[in-house]
Amino acid sequence: MSHEPPVVEPVESPEDAAIVRLAAEIESLLFVADRPIPLERLAEATTATVPAARDALEHLRRRLAGGGLLLQAVAGGYQLATRPEHADLVRRFLQREHGESLSKGALETLAIIAYRQPATRGDIEAIRGTKSDWHIERLLERQLIREVGRRQTVGRPILFGTTELFLRYFGLNDLSELPAMGERGVQALLDVTRPE
Amino acid sequence: MSDASGPAPSMRSPVEGYTVKVPGFEGPLDLLVTLAHQGKIDLAQVPLAELTAEFLEKTKRSMDLNEATEALWMLAVLVEMKAKLLLPKPPAPEPLPETGGSDLVEKLEDQLGEYRAFKEAADALKALEEFQRRVFVRTPQAEPAELLLEGLSVDDLFKAFQTVLARVRKERAAEVADEPVRVADRKAAILDALRGAPGGVEFSALFPPRVTAVFVVVTFLALLDLIKDRAIRVQQASPLAPIFVMLAG
Repeated sequence: MSHEPPVVEPVESPEDAAIVRLAAEIESLLFVADRPIPLERLAEATTATVPAARDALEHLRRRLAGGGLLLQAVAGGYQLATRPEHADLVRRFLQREHGESLSKGALETLAIIAYRQPATRGDIEAIRGTKSDWHIERLLERQLIREVGRRQTVGRPILFGTTELFLRYFGLNDLSELPAMGERGVQALLDVTRPE
Repeated sequence: MSDASGPAPSMRSPVEGYTVKVPGFEGPLDLLVTLAHQGKIDLAQVPLAELTAEFLEKTKRSMDLNEATEALWMLAVLVEMKAKLLLPKPPAPEPLPETGGSDLVEKLEDQLGEYRAFKEAADALKALEEFQRRVFVRTPQAEPAELLLEGLSVDDLFKAFQTVLARVRKERAAEVADEPVRVADRKAAILDALRGAPGGVEFSALFPPRVTAVFVVVTFLALLDLIKDRAIRVQQASPLAPIFVMLAG
């Protein structure tokens, strides 16, 4: 009786066998890693070429289908994560509370910083029409944004940008993966994040 | 085998937040602030005193710290806006010749359109957040480091603060503080006291008798600030035991 998902093609050629082995090695590394590992780092650690490591990751991603783990490309690296369907189960097991999710105002402020970065308090206020200091403080505290410099204008206002934690928090690989502005972008995103 | 996936977790509307009801408006406080800013609601007609009284009443009964602090901040914004509205205005500057009326309307519409686009972007981020919050990785990511609270929650600490505040109000000490009390000074004073007490200081001992309510509030703010900075730790051996504060590390 086999539990192998049907998506894995039968392995025949020696190249395929090498990819399968490499995928298993990478899986071990990702299992013990405590942060997303870049592709180049995985290739280096397994003494494989970058294209081979990429193929192995693709093999791993397909092999994991139907299991308890997901392979995610996040913040410029790869990580193993539990399936969203198991969220309640895992949370109960870890006895972890629901952390605070971001409020509407904080999300709006963060969206402006993310898309417009670097952005000043004034930039944010001009778009939201209200002061956003409170949200900026909370976002700084949660390390989702940071000061990236100062604008060379009157008063030299602080410029804010997003952090690596921001990418991890939202499961983005890099800033180019930010959903396109406008309704089409949002719809495409909802399609992607809907559970399989 | 039956369907293993349970029902979706019930979410307390995190998007709505604190809601209010005043003549001509009923909905999220956040929206009221936005509308007031856009001049779509006349703040002069909004009874802010009622809003703040209601806020105090609500937080007395139950309170979500995150929601309450955000609501408090928005109420402060409304008070500031209304104060500006009621104060006499300086004479209007000469209108710039190149800014015609239609340009201004256009500019306002651009701005509103831009805001709408960012609101949608915020919704998109929300969807990503919700997805990512349902997957778990080896070490907790995207979560702030733990506060140094042992055996109690921030809520417990807040209840202890309310007890002290009630005590002070009963004592009816001097109603008006002679000198301003500053958070920075209180922080330094707390740290001084803790340096002299390796075993820690009892929470209530941070508030000597016959101090003003302002002193108690500012001291508590200083305490929260120190907890946030992880400069101090707070311990409670059992639910009814006294709360102790000590230096971290």
